[in-house]
Amino acid sequence: MILDKFRNFSIIAHVNHGKSTLADRLLEETGTIEGRNMKAQLLDMLDLERERGITIKLVPVRMNYKANNGQEYVLNLIDTPGHVDFTYEVSRSLAACEGAVLVVDAAQGVEAQTVANSYLAIDLNLEIIPILNKIDLPSAQPDRVKKEIEDIIGINAADAVNVSAKTGEGISDLLERIVRDVPPPNGDPDAPLQALIFDSVYDNYKGVICYVRVVNGTLRAGKNIRFMSTGRDYELDEVGIFRPDMVKISELGPGEVGYLAASVKTIDEARVGDTVTESRRPAASPLPGYKKVKPVVFCGFYPVEREEINQLREALEKLQINDSALSFEPENSAALGFGFRCGFLGLLHMEIAKERLSREFGVDLVATAPNVVYQIVLINQSVIEAHKPSDFPDQVKIEEIREPYIKLTIFIPEQFVGAAMQLCQEKRGTYVGMDYITPERVRLTYDMPLAEFILDFHDRLKSCTKGYASLDYDHIGFRTADLVKVDLLLHDEPVDAFSFICHTDQAYHRGHAVVGKLKELIPRQLFEIPVQAAIGKKVIVRMNIKAVRKDVLAKCYGGDITRKRKLLEKQKEGKKRMKQVGRVSIPQEAFLAFMDVTKSEDK
Amino acid sequence: MTQSMNPFEPPAGGLSLYIHVPFCERKCPYCAFESKVPSVGERDLWLEMLSKELEWWEKRIGKPSLSTCYIGGGTPTVITGPQWVRLAEIIDSHFMFESDAEVTVEANPNSLKADHLLFWRDWRVSRVSIGVQSFDDAELIQLGRLHSAAQAYEAISASLASGFSVNSDLMFGLPGQTFRNWSRTLSQAVKSGIDHISLYQLTLEPGTLWESMPEQDLSDGYLPYRWAQWYMPRKGYNQYEIANFAKEGHESRHNINYWEEGEYLGVGPGASGFLKGWRYKNISGITEYSRSLDRGGSAIASGERLFGEKRVSEAAVLALRMSKGIDREDFSNKYGALEEKKIIEKLSRFPEDLYDISEKRISLSSKGMRVANRIWSELV
Repeated sequence: MILDKFRNFSIIAHVNHGKSTLADRLLEETGTIEGRNMKAQLLDMLDLERERGITIKLVPVRMNYKANNGQEYVLNLIDTPGHVDFTYEVSRSLAACEGAVLVVDAAQGVEAQTVANSYLAIDLNLEIIPILNKIDLPSAQPDRVKKEIEDIIGINAADAVNVSAKTGEGISDLLERIVRDVPPPNGDPDAPLQALIFDSVYDNYKGVICYVRVVNGTLRAGKNIRFMSTGRDYELDEVGIFRPDMVKISELGPGEVGYLAASVKTIDEARVGDTVTESRRPAASPLPGYKKVKPVVFCGFYPVEREEINQLREALEKLQINDSALSFEPENSAALGFGFRCGFLGLLHMEIAKERLSREFGVDLVATAPNVVYQIVLINQSVIEAHKPSDFPDQVKIEEIREPYIKLTIFIPEQFVGAAMQLCQEKRGTYVGMDYITPERVRLTYDMPLAEFILDFHDRLKSCTKGYASLDYDHIGFRTADLVKVDLLLHDEPVDAFSFICHTDQAYHRGHAVVGKLKELIPRQLFEIPVQAAIGKKVIVRMNIKAVRKDVLAKCYGGDITRKRKLLEKQKEGKKRMKQVGRVSIPQEAFLAFMDVTKSEDK
Repeated sequence: MTQSMNPFEPPAGGLSLYIHVPFCERKCPYCAFESKVPSVGERDLWLEMLSKELEWWEKRIGKPSLSTCYIGGGTPTVITGPQWVRLAEIIDSHFMFESDAEVTVEANPNSLKADHLLFWRDWRVSRVSIGVQSFDDAELIQLGRLHSAAQAYEAISASLASGFSVNSDLMFGLPGQTFRNWSRTLSQAVKSGIDHISLYQLTLEPGTLWESMPEQDLSDGYLPYRWAQWYMPRKGYNQYEIANFAKEGHESRHNINYWEEGEYLGVGPGASGFLKGWRYKNISGITEYSRSLDRGGSAIASGERLFGEKRVSEAAVLALRMSKGIDREDFSNKYGALEEKKIIEKLSRFPEDLYDISEKRISLSSKGMRVANRIWSELV
């Protein structure tokens, strides 16, 4: 097949604007899937994706399409996730395409991620085909939304396709537009092989399966291939395409999208973004890869049953193969035992990972409160990264602390501007700008510490705007901030698991909330326990847990001895479940509940 | 030295005997002990069965001499005068008594009669323990007791006049009990002239009326107990055990034997015993108990023997009930120096004002006794 018959494209959209349903219709219309085999949102393969109605994993699929001009075309659709946490996955999909279908809800109009994802596509020099979805809705206003697209994003929407993914209206027009407007790939089938790995999954039988887009040369089963970043060679066991299930074929030429399996055992051997070439005739240089995504939100995962630490490790390793943005390293908490400090792209990413671990791998786990990564400039001018409060050095060694900031864009109906601004202010946001995109809708822009954002910003924004807000953010690097590490001391001993980082102005307030909560949760013991919040050596909050004074004094004569012993043993059993820190016994619930306080304390 | 582990052999030294009288005039709403209101002829049946049970034991352990004997219940004063004569006969026919043997009988103020006191003095009783519970009439009604504070006072006076060493049981932590009520009850007890006081906190025991329908929240026991610890020694009653205060020389030897892991034979329905490291419990209920003895069987329902750590920790917990605590040398000889060290190591996790460790002894301080349950639960 010649190159000008290929069309590689993605679909981009704000979350819930109907991207997955549109993909379903395209598969149906091209006969890739017969109607009777169709289940809703076919490309959302994880149960979790269907339940939540969001796409997490990108899934490629190959469709054959006979256009109105009588020619046969091959359309490769690479589905993309919609949530802001997964922007990196979107950009990976886009890098493997020449065009993007931009889906905008004809009733809701342009939302924050419509803009963000469009800009990603424009940046990669993709041809954008705007379409208005849900055109069947009575509230659809295609003309207004077209104007929004032109005004806000700045691309021509005059001939945007009107579509209803639900009824199938406009789908054939869209296919024609894809063939007409998306440029065919260019590449040299006889040049040395260059194929970009844009994703990977793990298969128990085949090992790591790499999703690839061939740029130059030809990928043939049986040949030896080399991963350019490691220089290691493998025999290529299998190549194939997605229809959307994997189907083995003999070769993949330039412009084609498919998969390869080469008995690769670990994710480190076949990194996403790497270039695959031939061992015998390697390409001179690799393709431009992706920036390695850096996790921005961290939290600890601990197995509920301590013995399950190895299951958790194995599960994380497998999950990482499917989710290369996930990072983890072992850590040890005084309170929770052995676990892993995991890095994520955002809160949703964290939640999804947690849920997949329990659903797909059957691991029950406890997640500690999330925190961001901090840069700490020491007195000696060296810079270290802190992934958790206990990574913080002694206060006196710190010259400066920097925290990650985001540029936050919020789209809201104008009556909620006041509430949203107040929230941003409270969250230490710095006002950047505000503009009316239509007379009723406003775009607000703030710079905000990521730490404040991950705490509970999204939930609170939703509640103060009755769910009408949409948001997007970009990481804009680190900024110096007046931050302190607040330590929690129980009986004068610091307890790692309870320390937290916050802005100096909030230290007292949050310290008070945490100390109060701990006072409630830690049972009285045989001695008075001071609970203190301290910054360095300075105690800012102190409360006391009074010594236990309630105890039953029972007599114990001949007939009571056995019964009494059993009672004591039972009492001891109860204590076993508590964690001993110094002399203080802390129940597991205290650690779990602590995670809630840090979330809701400013409400 | 190999010690016999066979409980069915004659004991080495003086033995303690506990006899359980499973009858009361009325069941108290907080009491979980084995007792019932006796039906016609049931007390005589109990006497005959007791005789059978003791015969069963005599075949195995012979006719040992007793250093202490305790007739408790239930309410031993529910046993009438003539029945007491029979009871004494039965006991005397199966045991010898050491010359200074301590013999205690429990009594309730309302059923304690002059002829009881007369008979007991003529037989060999040395100590009377009276179930006073409170010197506050309102509290007594609440507790479902059948006597008044005045009757309690009379019973004590009469017992003292008959030459007995007298104990009173007193309760604290009652619903609605004020600190003032409690201190008055204690001072009344002191005034009555008794030489031993057992006090305990009201607990809602499984199987009692109050457990199934609790009256109201129980009051905190800490303050009344601390008051007793402060007040009693000033009146000449030293705390020699968690729940017991006595004038010098009036400590209950029978009870001390329990805490020092001495051997004791327990007879009667539901009674417990401890022989050669073996704890057993008798069949509960006079009917079941009698049926087994009638068939020529024993009265024993179940038994257990503790080994290793459990045995050591039980010994330590029992010894720590007493003010004098653990005798370090004895304990090391019995269980090994390592085990003794472990006890010290575990105690030292607690604040220092809760225990005392001297060269010879390990014990709980007064403050430690107030929270003893917590400390023990670390030791088991």
